[in-house]
Amino acid sequence: MTERAAAAAEGVDGVGFGDPLVEIQNVSKYFANDEGMLSWLSVNRDADGLPVETGREWVKAVEDVSFTIRKGETLGLVGESGCGKSTLARTILRLLEPTEGSIYFKGRDLADLSGEKLRNTRKDVQMIFQDPQSSLDPRMKVGKIVEEPMQAHGMLDAEGRAARAQELLEKVGLDPQHYNRYPHAFSGGQRQRINLARALSVNPDFVVCDEPVSALDVSIQAQVLNTMRDLQEEFGLTYLFIAHDLSVIRHISDRVAVMYLGQLVELADKRELFENPSHPYTQALLDSIPVPDPRADGRRGVLEGDVPSPIQPPSGCRFRTRCPKLIAPAEYDLSDETWDRVRAFMRHVKRRDFTETDPDAIRRRYFDGRVPDGAAGDVVSAAIDDIAADDWEDAAERLQSAFAEQSVCAREEPDYEVDPEYGTDRHTVACHLHRE
Amino acid sequence: MSDPLLRVDDLQVQFFTEDGVVRAVDGISFDVHEGELVGLVGESGAGKSVAVSAIMRLIESPGKIVGGRIEFDGETLVEVETGPDGDPYRTEATMPDGELRERIRGREIAIIFQDPMESLNPVFTVGGQLREFIELNRDFSEREAREEAVSMLREVGIPEPEARYGDYPHQFSGGMRQRVLIAMALACEPSLIIADEPTTALDVTVEAQILDLVEDLQDRYGTSFVWVTHDMGVVAEICDRVNVMYLGEIVEQAPVDDLFYETKHPYTAALLDSVPRPDQTVEELNPIKGVMPEAIDPPSGCRFHTRCPEAREACTTTNPDCREVGFGDPPHRAACIKHDAFDAAYSGSPPLDAAAQQGFDVSLSGGETDD
Amino acid sequence: MATTHSDSETLGGESVEDFDESEQSVEARVGWRYTLSQVREDPTAFGGFLVIVAAAVVAVVTTIDAVVFEFLAQYQVFAQFGVEKYWLAKTVWMSPVQESADTTALLPPVGIENAYGQGTWAHPLGTDDRGRDILLRLIYGTRIAIMVGVLATAIGLVGGMVVGAVSGYYGGWVDDVLMRLAETLYAIPFLVLVLAFIAAFGRSITFAMIGVGVASIPKFARLIRSRVVSVREDEYVEAAKAAGVRDRNIILRHVIPNSFAPVLVQATLQVGTAIIIIAGLSFLGFGIQPPTPSWGQMLSVSRDHMIADPWFSIWPGLCILVTVVAFNMFGDGLRDALDPRLDN
Repeated sequence: MTERAAAAAEGVDGVGFGDPLVEIQNVSKYFANDEGMLSWLSVNRDADGLPVETGREWVKAVEDVSFTIRKGETLGLVGESGCGKSTLARTILRLLEPTEGSIYFKGRDLADLSGEKLRNTRKDVQMIFQDPQSSLDPRMKVGKIVEEPMQAHGMLDAEGRAARAQELLEKVGLDPQHYNRYPHAFSGGQRQRINLARALSVNPDFVVCDEPVSALDVSIQAQVLNTMRDLQEEFGLTYLFIAHDLSVIRHISDRVAVMYLGQLVELADKRELFENPSHPYTQALLDSIPVPDPRADGRRGVLEGDVPSPIQPPSGCRFRTRCPKLIAPAEYDLSDETWDRVRAFMRHVKRRDFTETDPDAIRRRYFDGRVPDGAAGDVVSAAIDDIAADDWEDAAERLQSAFAEQSVCAREEPDYEVDPEYGTDRHTVACHLHRE
Repeated sequence: MSDPLLRVDDLQVQFFTEDGVVRAVDGISFDVHEGELVGLVGESGAGKSVAVSAIMRLIESPGKIVGGRIEFDGETLVEVETGPDGDPYRTEATMPDGELRERIRGREIAIIFQDPMESLNPVFTVGGQLREFIELNRDFSEREAREEAVSMLREVGIPEPEARYGDYPHQFSGGMRQRVLIAMALACEPSLIIADEPTTALDVTVEAQILDLVEDLQDRYGTSFVWVTHDMGVVAEICDRVNVMYLGEIVEQAPVDDLFYETKHPYTAALLDSVPRPDQTVEELNPIKGVMPEAIDPPSGCRFHTRCPEAREACTTTNPDCREVGFGDPPHRAACIKHDAFDAAYSGSPPLDAAAQQGFDVSLSGGETDD
Repeated sequence: MATTHSDSETLGGESVEDFDESEQSVEARVGWRYTLSQVREDPTAFGGFLVIVAAAVVAVVTTIDAVVFEFLAQYQVFAQFGVEKYWLAKTVWMSPVQESADTTALLPPVGIENAYGQGTWAHPLGTDDRGRDILLRLIYGTRIAIMVGVLATAIGLVGGMVVGAVSGYYGGWVDDVLMRLAETLYAIPFLVLVLAFIAAFGRSITFAMIGVGVASIPKFARLIRSRVVSVREDEYVEAAKAAGVRDRNIILRHVIPNSFAPVLVQATLQVGTAIIIIAGLSFLGFGIQPPTPSWGQMLSVSRDHMIADPWFSIWPGLCILVTVVAFNMFGDGLRDALDPRLDN
């Protein structure tokens, strides 16, 4: 550990290494689905009286997310596009206003701050952006870009800022002579280094990195990742590292949070998460990544379908509509095998990806000729009759409401903690498979 | 082994720009057998997309095929030779434009691009575009083509294909659009599909679905693929044989298992070393130093010597061709003079401190070059 | 710092290639010199540029001339150097007629003969109905035309920039209110708006100029807003915000410079338009008031002589035409030079 990092560890700011630096509590961020002067009005022809309704549709980009980031660590945040990870990052930085919740940074709630007070805290919290092309002003020289945050916070005089900018350029692996060049003259990897220098210029404690290497070629990616690690050690930085690439997350993170459709589904120590993934979504993600080893056993494409719309997310567990481990409704008392068959049938009816309408053929295809007994069997038979009558929608609806909607996954929001197999860190999983 | 379905021989593509001639593809040779999935892997700027566009003769001005021969199923798609005046010209054997358009493109060889949004017309419905494509290429009536389109959509895993038939491209997710393109590529049951980074823009779970789909369809139709990608993971997952490209040249050519376990070229080795692994924790990554030089002004000798950890003096002068360096069938080729197959003075040549020699580490003051 | 050396070793890596060769072209792609070099390659635009430069030189020289000689004429000391004589001569040419032996009413240009006589080399373009030299009045008219055109455009540009940048950057209700206002102004015909302005504040060139400027604010505001809305989404703006840069500085340093290119083109074209409008106003008597020489007002005076002595209206008309066309040609060339899509 370097001198500077050691000085930071002593806790000039009262936060020692390993103590919580950022605490995110129940943060939600909703967006109005469409903006404009009159968008809160909508027409409803079936309404009594005035055929006009007020009220907006909300996109629930982030909903009720809580976690803690400790000083000096790298927390990886992983999820597919549209899961709300970038929105969450921008909300934590207060580039977006949280709809609900608190963001404690060194004990102060950023969600309460505004104006000049908020601006002053930006000195301690910086961000690195994804796109090396558009994150640097093309009309500004590199030196000025790096100096701008210092200037905004009144750090040093002009000469001191220039000297510091050159020092930083060198630290991130660029030539300080390039101080006077425009961003055009640099490659993608070099631009990300300029981004790093800019973020570090004001000596922040906490850096949010939004997919900082996903636009770079693999060999360049590795160079930038190494630099980021070295800088973290030297400056005692805390990273929130957002990525969609689990390999990168595995390389750089200490702990990992997995996000799906606006919510955290799993959070654990890196080793624990990769070796003992406990949420079906995390498992699916891990199974899906192509492994650069032709002898690895390829488990792929375990998930079907697309991510549902965040405007009306599924009730209960948000992953249940694609979950391969959906829990059978308690009232039917189905064996695992029968439940698998029912689920397959339900899914195929919904996706309408078979063409037979003959009841016998369907029974043979999905149930080996025998529909299950009891109440569940009645529903399945009724659905098969619907299909025979070419009434696919009714069949799908019937199966959904009798099975999928009755599952505990649809009725309750999961939130559990499991005993970690590796290390001692808390391992939280939002999946009903882990109740008791 | 039987004759290959596609044979690319010494293909050269150059771009004539204001700043000079860019040798985007500089003499590459590879072949694809029936039912095979051949990978073309490299970083951005390696020339892989240009190489596959050349197969369909889709190179646009200022680019030009200036040499080489591409043979498909016994027919010559293009053959360019250099005339006595030094200008390249197409030989008699080259298939006329009209015939290529009518008979080959779409019917025999189909292409899938990275961005499905650019390949689909946003103002027409997805089903309509697919139907029209089938109608044109397979001489179906409109009704037959429509039925075929719906069944193709079902085949590639579009849910509720009847209902989605009338949707517009923007109503589909990225993965669904890529499925539509695959449906379109498959519609004429071509014998070869060229896939140019088709999963790069997709999320991993969707990418996995597409890879599954491709493997499944390949089993059923026996279609050959040329798969362009930068992702070593994808290569390991689906390719039978792999060509690694660097700066317009193929540096290594091997069956996929040999490529990962019997790596013969330092670039391939470095590339594999620099990728973080999803299945194990790697403490320190070993990045390839420097950046890929511009194709407009490639280094002398071996093009990788400026970044190669094993470079020696001899590498600065000899530009090796891709030679057989291992035993086995299919052959394992590599373009590196450290192998015995090259009778070059590698072993006696003094090692090269690549960074210092190129003087391009100006950024790192002192430290690295002091010794 | 003690750690620097060992650190830079471990940072490893990607280092800057020698960019010296490409640097020139890359660096020059932003900034004035590059833009002008592009314009120079386009003969039409360059022609326009030369005319504008010439007009600007004329305007500046005549301004200095007017100021300096007015000053000198006050002092008898300079009389011996002939200053007084020069000043008197000019006043005679340009101002309402003064009884003087030198003046000849309504002289045709050199080479044209008519009822009033033959043109003279003393007045190469002839003289007007009050015996004032047309060439000299045209030259002095340039100053007014350019000044008024540029100032009116500047008013529109600055106003539009403030309204458009604020509207585009903040969005929301601010945007709604400002843009609805701008659209309301936009809905009124331009000339009517300017005339209403003059009617409200008074008949003078100053108000005509301000009127033209204010009336062009909506056009600029909408253009700038549309650019700002897209620039606002660029990550460097978000980066500046995340770094804690004040809104005012973000707008001034990032948003406006990056929104400026198309606005500059529009402004150049607008100078031409403003010149025409103000000439038109002067023609109608709402703009520049006599005796100040202006092209529009010269045209207006020539109306009565149009059939008998056409030269009288040809010269100022030609001046307006050439200047306006020059601004348009330059503006078009500028648009091409600044359009990144045309960049190879």
